[in-house]
Order: sequence, then C-alpha cells, then structure tokens
Amino acid sequence: MSIEWIEQVLQLTVQMGTVYLIASLGEIYAERSGVLNLGLEGIMIMGAAISFIFTVAYNHLIAILVAAVVGILMSLILAVMTVHLRLNQVIVGLALTLLGIGLSGVITSPGIREKILLTLNPNLPEKMLTIQQAEKLLEIPIPLLSQIPILGRALFNHNVLVYFSLITAFSMWFILFKTRAGLVIRSVGENPSMADTLGVNVFLVRYITVIISGLFASLAGAYFFIGFHPFWREGVTAGRGFIAIALVILATWNPLRAILGAYLFGGIETLQYRLQLLGLGAQSPYFLAMLPYIITIIALILISTESLRKKIGAPASLGIPYSREE
Amino acid sequence: MEELLHLKGIVKKFPGVVANDNVDFTLRKGEIHALLGENGAGKTTLMNIVYGLYKPDAGEIYVEGKRVEIRSPRDAIKLGIGMVHQNFKLIPSHTVMENIILGLKDVGFVINRKKVGEEIRKLSEQYGWRIDPYVYVWQLSAGEKQQVELLKILYRKAKILILDEPTSVLTPQECRNLFHALRKMAEEGIGIIFITHKLEEALSISDRITVMRKGKIVATKNAWETSIEELTNYMIGRPVLFKLDKNKTDSSEDFILIRNLKAYGDTGALALKNVNLTIRKNEILGIIGVTGNGQQELAEVLAGLRKAIDGQVLIDGMNILNYSPLKLIELGVAYIPPEPIKYGIAPNLTIRDNLFLKAYRYKPYSSRIFINLREVEKKAEEIIRRFNVVCPNTSIKARSLSGGNIQRLILARELSELINGWKPRFIIAAYPTKGLDISAAEFVNRTLIDYSKTGSSILYITEDIEEAMMVCDRIAVMYDGRIMGVFKPGEVSIEKIGLMMAGAETLTTS
Amino acid sequence: MVIKLSSRFFKQYTVKIEKRLEYSRKFAILTTITSILIAFGVAGIALSILGVDVVVAYTQVLTVFTKLPLLIEAIKYAIPIGLAALGLNIAFRMNFWNIGAEGQIYMGMFASTGIVLLHVYYGLIPEYLVLITMIVASFIAGGAWCTLPAILKAKMKVNEILTTLMMNYVAIYFIDFLIYGPWRDPKGYGFPLSVPFPSYAKLTILFGDSVYLGSILLLTMAMVVFLILKYSKLGFELRVIGESLETARYAGINFVKAITLGGFISGGIAGLGGLAIVSGIIGRLRPRASAGYGYTAIIVTLLSALNPWLIIPTSIFFGGLFVAGNMLQATLNIPGATIDMLQALIFLFLLFGELIKRYKLRIVVRGVSVEH
Repeated sequence: MSIEWIEQVLQLTVQMGTVYLIASLGEIYAERSGVLNLGLEGIMIMGAAISFIFTVAYNHLIAILVAAVVGILMSLILAVMTVHLRLNQVIVGLALTLLGIGLSGVITSPGIREKILLTLNPNLPEKMLTIQQAEKLLEIPIPLLSQIPILGRALFNHNVLVYFSLITAFSMWFILFKTRAGLVIRSVGENPSMADTLGVNVFLVRYITVIISGLFASLAGAYFFIGFHPFWREGVTAGRGFIAIALVILATWNPLRAILGAYLFGGIETLQYRLQLLGLGAQSPYFLAMLPYIITIIALILISTESLRKKIGAPASLGIPYSREE
Repeated sequence: MEELLHLKGIVKKFPGVVANDNVDFTLRKGEIHALLGENGAGKTTLMNIVYGLYKPDAGEIYVEGKRVEIRSPRDAIKLGIGMVHQNFKLIPSHTVMENIILGLKDVGFVINRKKVGEEIRKLSEQYGWRIDPYVYVWQLSAGEKQQVELLKILYRKAKILILDEPTSVLTPQECRNLFHALRKMAEEGIGIIFITHKLEEALSISDRITVMRKGKIVATKNAWETSIEELTNYMIGRPVLFKLDKNKTDSSEDFILIRNLKAYGDTGALALKNVNLTIRKNEILGIIGVTGNGQQELAEVLAGLRKAIDGQVLIDGMNILNYSPLKLIELGVAYIPPEPIKYGIAPNLTIRDNLFLKAYRYKPYSSRIFINLREVEKKAEEIIRRFNVVCPNTSIKARSLSGGNIQRLILARELSELINGWKPRFIIAAYPTKGLDISAAEFVNRTLIDYSKTGSSILYITEDIEEAMMVCDRIAVMYDGRIMGVFKPGEVSIEKIGLMMAGAETLTTS
Repeated sequence: MVIKLSSRFFKQYTVKIEKRLEYSRKFAILTTITSILIAFGVAGIALSILGVDVVVAYTQVLTVFTKLPLLIEAIKYAIPIGLAALGLNIAFRMNFWNIGAEGQIYMGMFASTGIVLLHVYYGLIPEYLVLITMIVASFIAGGAWCTLPAILKAKMKVNEILTTLMMNYVAIYFIDFLIYGPWRDPKGYGFPLSVPFPSYAKLTILFGDSVYLGSILLLTMAMVVFLILKYSKLGFELRVIGESLETARYAGINFVKAITLGGFISGGIAGLGGLAIVSGIIGRLRPRASAGYGYTAIIVTLLSALNPWLIIPTSIFFGGLFVAGNMLQATLNIPGATIDMLQALIFLFLLFGELIKRYKLRIVVRGVSVEH
C-alpha cells in the first residue's frame, strides 16, 4: 500500500460519501419536520437517469437543473399524499421508490431513450443515441491546498458538487440550529400542534422540507451519475437511497455529523472495491457491503432509549401526520 | 367599557353533537371573564373557534368592534389573541426562549439570543416570576411551565388572553400566584377569558361569569351579584345530589397494606417517594390531590403496569409488588384506567373483543390455542344487558359508543364475573368519572359503592374533592409522591385539605 | 378539512371532507377495482407519451390471464409473492411494519439451498426427507430473520420499519457471498450458481409441475393465517397489540412473547416464499433470485385489505404482471420496467382509493348538503 494508494482511497472515499451526504442532508430536514421520506431511492435513481439523458442531449448544467426539477416534482407527490391527505408515510415512500425505479428504467431503455434524445436535440450524432455513458464532471483542484500531501488530494481535488455538498452541510447546520427558520422546522417535527397554535403554518413547513429532501435526493442521484460513476445500467443506484436514510439515523439528524457518517459509509464502499483489487480476501466485499446496514441497526438500537432520544433530539413527531380538527 | 371581543350566534357542529349552539359572548377591556360549565359543555370548543383552531359553521366574530374572520391561530395572534391550553403546548427538548419566540418574525433571522433573553427575563420579573430563558422546558415545574405559556402570549403583546382550566395542574399556592399575575394583567388593560368548571374559582377570580350548558349560554352574571347555589343551578340544570346513600357498616379489617412504596415516573424523576396506605375490607379509600403528584403512578404500580423500586404491597398478607398485570388480574385486581379511550379500550375492536380483553384466555372462552366464539358471544350479550351498555349489537366497534357507555363497558369488563369464581377483590379506579355527564358519573359511583358492600376494597383516585367526600369512606391526600394524611369525610376543613394538597401541612392521625 | 371554492361563480358552494364511519363491502371492492383501472389509464397515457406501444403492452398483460399456460406461469410467480404477503398479513395485523419480506425470502432460499447442499455434499438427509426438511428449515430461517426486529421492537421499541429494511440488504449480500464463494457449483464453469437441485428437492416432485405443490402450500398457509387471525388466542392478542401496545399491556397480554411469535410466523411464511423460488421456479440458487417479490407482497397485502383469502387472487394478478413484464422485454422490445411503473401506479392510486373509503366529500350549497 503506497502513499499513492492511500491518497486514491481517501479521494474516492470523499467522492463516494458525497452521494450519501447530499441525499441525507435533505432527508434530515424532512425528518426534522416530522416527515419520513422513504422515497429517497426512487427520487435518486430518477435524478441519475435524468442527468444521464440530459448530459448526453445538452450539458451538465442543464442536466443538474432538470434533475432538480424532477426531484421537486416527485417529492411533491409525497408531500400531497402524506402531509395533506395524511396517508401512511412508509407506504407512500415505498410506492414512490417503486415508481422511480420503474420510470427510470423505462426512460433509459434503449428504444425509448433514443426517441427522447432525438426529441430533446434532433442534431445529436447517431452514436450518442445508444451510448451507455456520459461525460463526467471535471475535477477542480483548489490551488495550493490540493498540494498538501495525502489530505490535499482527498479534500481539495474534486468536482464542484463535492465542494457544494460540504458548504451546504455547514449552512444547513447553521440554519437548523441558529436561525428562526430552523427553530420553526425543529418545532414542527417535535410538536406540530404547538407550532400551529403559534401561527406556524405546519403544512407549508412540511411541504418545503419534503421538497428540499426531494431536491437533494435528485441532486445526489445526478452527482452519483455524472460526478462519480457515469456508466448507465438499470437500477444503477442499487439501494444507495436507503443507505442515505440509514445515515440520517447514524448522524442523529445533525447535518455536521452527516459529513462524518457519509465519509464512513463512502470509505467502507471504496474499500470493497479496492481491497478486492489488491486481492485481499475475496469474500470481504460482501461483508463490507453489509456493514453500513449493520452499523445502522446498531445505531437504531443505541438510540432507542428514551433519555438518549431526548438528548440527541430525535424528532418526536416523526412519521405522524398532523391534522387540526382531530 | 370598551368591548374587546364580541361573538354573535356562533354555531359549531361535530358529527352527532352540536358543540356550540348559537352562542353570544362579550369580553371587555381589563376584565376577567370566567366561562363556567361542566366538562363537555362546549367552553373549549368556543374558545378554539376564537383562536382559529376550529372554523365555526355559522356566526360572527368582532374584535374591537371590527368584524373579523379567524381562519387560523396566525390570524388570532395578529388580532392580539393568545391562548393557554389545558395541556401545555411546549416542547420539552427546546429552551424556554425557543418556545417563546417560535413563530415570531422580529427576533432576527439569526436569532439574537442575548437581546431576546434579556427581554424575556425582564418581562418575567414584571409579574414576579423567575424564569431563566436559557434552561430547557423539561427542567421546569408545572407552575413554571404555565408561566412560560403566559410569557409566550405577553411577549406577543396580546390584548385578549384565554386560559383553559389553568389551575388543574397547580397547587392552591401556585393558583394564588397566578391570580395575582392575572389581576395585574387585567389592570394593564388585557381582557382575560378564564375557562373553568370550578365554581369557587370562577367566583374568586372573575369580574363577570358566563355559564354554558350543552353548547348554549345559560346566563352571564356579574360576580358580585351571584352565588354558588345560583351558578350550580345554571350549570347543571338541577340541584346536585350531594349525598349518595352509602348505608354500610364500617369495616376495621385491614386488607391491603402499602408500605414505603417508591417508583420512578415517566420523566425519570422519583414520582412515588414513600407511599404508605392501608385499605380496609369493604372500604372505598379516596386519593385526592393536584393532578401529577404521583396518583397515576401509584395506580399503575398497583396494577402491575409500572415497576416499583422499593416497598411492599400486601393483599391479604401476600406481597404482590411488581407482579405482572396478568398475575394481578388472576389475584382479583381490577383496574379502571384514566382516559378510557386511550388506555381502557381498543377503540377499533368490537365491543365483544373489548369485553373479553382479559377474560379471553380462560375456559370456557378458549382452549389452548383457539377461542370459542359462541361462548364469548353468549356471555357478552348477557353482561352488556346487565351493565346497561347501550348498543345495537356486540360486533360494532367500541369507538362508536358514547363516553358514558364506554365507561360502562369498562366496568362490565373489570368487575363482572366473566370467569367462574373470579371476584374483584381490589379495584383501582383512576378518575373514573372524569369527563362523564352527571347521570353516567352517578352510575359509576353507585356501581363502585355496591361492589364495596359485597367485599371489594377500592382505591378511588379523583381530583374532585366534593366527589371524594360523597363516595369515599376515608380520604388520603397525596402530594409530591407522599401521603400527607388520611381522614374521614367531614373530619377536616376544606382549608386544611387545601394546605395538605399544597404540601404545607400533614396529618398524622386518621 | 374544508375546501372553499372562492371564484364568484362558486361562491355559495363549500366542499367539505368528512370521515366516513362505515362502508359496505361492495363499495370497498368497487373502489379498489376503480383504482386499478385508473392506474392502468394513467400509466397508459404516460407510456404512450414516452413512445411505448400501450395497446400491445396491455394486450400482452391481458393475454397472460386468458391463456392457460401463461396463467399457470403467473400462478408460479404468485406463489412466492402470495406466501410473503400472507406473512406480512400477520405482521401488519399487529401494527408491525415488516418491510423485510424480501430479506426473509432470501433467508428462506438460504436455508432450502443449505439443506440441499448438506444432502448432496455430505449425504446427511435421506432423499424422501429432503423436501420436508427444506420446508421446515426455510420457515425457521425466514422466521428467525423477522424475530430479531420483532424482539428489538417489543423489548426496546426499536423502529421495525428501518431494521427490517436494513436487514433485507444484509440478507442479499449474505447470499451474494455464499454464491460467489463457498456455495458455487464447482462444476458450474465459474458461474455464480449452486448445484442444480435434485428432483426430490423440487416442488415438481408431485404432479410433475411445481405449480400444484406450490399452490397447495399457498392455500394451506392461507388457511393457517386465516385460522390464526380469526379464531386463535394469538390472533386475538395480535389484534389488541395492533390497536395499542398500552392496552395490550393493561390486558395482561405478554406482548413481548406475542410480538416475537407473530414476527416469527410472519417471517417464516415469507421464508417459504424463498423456498418456492429456488425449489419451484429456478431449481437452484443464484444471486438476486427474488425480483423484489417481498416488496410486491406489501402491495398485495394492502390491496387485499389484510384478508388472507383475497391475497390469493391478488398475488396471481401481480404474478401475471411479472410474467407479462418478462415477455414484453424478451419479445416486444418494451422495457420490463414498464411493469414496475404499473405496479407503483396501482399502489399510489390504491392509496387514493383508501382515502375515498375513509372520507366522503360533501358539497354544501347555502346550507343544503349534497353527499358524494
């Protein structure tokens, strides 16, 4: 294991972890306001599919913007059904996941994708119509900082979305705990009826946070595809949306702790592939792959004690729909 | 005097009930106006309409002479209306300050903690309170929580203040403090609506009293022009039966002994600090006290639903401390829980299932694996008739029953001999008449008295002193997880009972 | 909830949404069928916008249910789905949100295959006992996989939705590990496949086609679930627990025991679904052998309104969708994901249907009300 190898693993760890970080940041806001968005996986894979198609048809910027819009639209379904119609959040989330997996499969299937691409951009050269990959986002090394041995490459040699995720994590932490808006979100998740009596529009707050979660999930999918692994196959996100939900618990609903958790999960996943390349333990990748899920189960057990829940601020009304007249 | 609030012809219907029937009401500047009525008379519904939580089906609301529509609490707050709900709307895991400023716009986007904290501290001192804005709400006592609720409203500079049964969680001393503060607020020009079902309270605090019954306004009186007797008549529509015929002989045989009982409450603090009680055979022992002084925890420990950490509970000489609920049921312990809909019944199961919630596991209703539906049905019909539960049949959901019928159903399950040879030897009744109308409450009390005559010992928890005097053979006062004294009805003055409830005095003899 | 239509024309109308207290069975069935039809409609519109030939696709779906050989194929797929759904039925009754049927299916496959390998490699179990042992083992393995989250929920209130979901992935990777590692058939040219099951380890052993023995298994389990829920003491306890844990405690029900047992049976029946896949459909173990049947089972259970008998036709319907999906992909060049989308839409509109069952709209015109 050379320095080079360590540098590479660290860099990949951050890049892989960024998928989880972006998605979990949005989910933290939704859950803090009391809504469990279990549709993360479906929205994420749609974000990936959209970014694939629009990068091929146009460019990265448009791809990211359209993915954002699609993420918002999909989360609106969840918002209407769970916040307004008060349907079970788990069921609606699963339905949304199924919808995303199905729809992404349909729009990226060879024949249909060709038609979509031609409609979007009739001038597209023929070989672009059947291509299974897209151009990757460029890495932008930060001058000087990226020259620091070992850590430089891990932290300061990434594409724009990685930097964006870190800045966002810090600002989302600040907003959540230091500002009026954050107080409103946390209060709605703790006790919506109390927030309501103080004139807070509970429905509006939950709509906004759910939309944020959809937006970020879709961006995470787009990042995963064009920023990390730009090779399409059906079901490309492979359950990473669920890992992001797991991460929210591990991070105990705190955006800063989510950074650490995301890089932990990112590191585990990186090692799965790297160790295999080194020929270290042919069986290890499967057990490493299980690790995030097992860690989450253990975290769930640890935070199950009531007093600890209070201390770390698990939202008390998570998963419970709110209605005024009952 | 200037009118702050005027309600005209308010109507609010819920499925099956008219909660407010053409209600007119006025509140003047600087007055304390008591809204008096029994539980379920429609007081809280009316005020929830004023606060924008419910939308009226008909009627008009005027604030300071102007016609307004209050669609949500946000509208109400804008109009200068504030409300303290019966159950505190506070977030325990947030600080006092965070609770107070929630929803406010002028505290800075990044919350200016120093400035706001100072303002809150000053405001609180103005009314003689000592509230630290930076502590968490779960660290506060009930009285302090109420002060935070009031600060929430005062900080918003409200002109109209609504309090829903504010004294139910307070000691008499804390009540006096509250009344002083309210007087001061009224002098500053705030109009206060004070919802209560306690007559003395209405008379002692308010300038005017409006009485509601069954959704209608019955009368509005100046406080100095009316009397307890008159108000009682308005409230209930007929004089109360202050005497229930008990007609039984005192027993002196000790049956249940509770010794040095200690247990934790839900918050992790010691809720039962050292409880010692004796309940005799054929006796109804009342427990009175301000809600939240350990009564609930005592009932739960005795029913096996909460673990005690120390002490003894002897039934007929046998220590049953920390037995499982099932073992206790089999030993003849019956438990009538508070808030029947929440704990006492499974609302979406049938009446039959609810009746057999405990008895289903015994012969002849079931074998090792299966339940004998025919036997269950037969017995259910019989019991339902005996306890006067009004229902078309026993396969409808229990939630469709009225409150009184639900309590009858619970009595039927807890007390009737569903199983051959089983008798309730020890009945724990926690607030068994709370929220019931007079006739349903009478049925419950009469049933309990009948059972006490035939050999059951009963622990009767209530917050209504008069009811305890009526029903119980002896009464214990509970304060802060301890028994302050035990006496027979009539032995001790009401003033003294008040002091005992506040923890200021104890009684050694009984 | 009250919706006010505020345009001038509609000024005197108010639309009110009220709780519906009771509804007839006919009404419920009608709502469900309408929801499914709307889902097909919406999916049709969406797909034709995307350029899928909807007429061809839907004809294919219809064909599955009209041609006997295809119907039999649909029933084969319906068996694992239906078994998992029956298991979920028990869990949902006690308000235990078991999202983990998928993982329990995989554990069922693990146990069935394990028994076969014990027999093939070590000659441990006599031939005539292999299938029976596989059934028992897959039940125990699936059951154990659900017992863990059940105990965690009952004893420590650990959220079962997340634990069961997480354990799905643990199970899937565990199977991956086995089949890419120690359980790979040495004579399989390096493909990630187990040894093929001998004929007496397959559901084809009686009557020649796996559909018969599989159907018997499914019907038996439907009967078992029906008896448990309707007539047994455990069923009564689960119902009370599903209503409220507080009430169950108060009634002296040993809810830790009941939830654990309920969880075990729930996972066990789902585990049999795993057996139905390896021993009924594939005839050996391969990675990712369940195409999300455990998730489809959630839809099936809810669509059947927690009625074990309704689960059978409902799972045949979804089994048919899987068969149609495979055929679309293989022969008509229509993406198989179409079927996933269809499933999701049925799911979503079903949820809307649930709402219509629970609430009714009332239009109030100047105090006069019109019910809908």
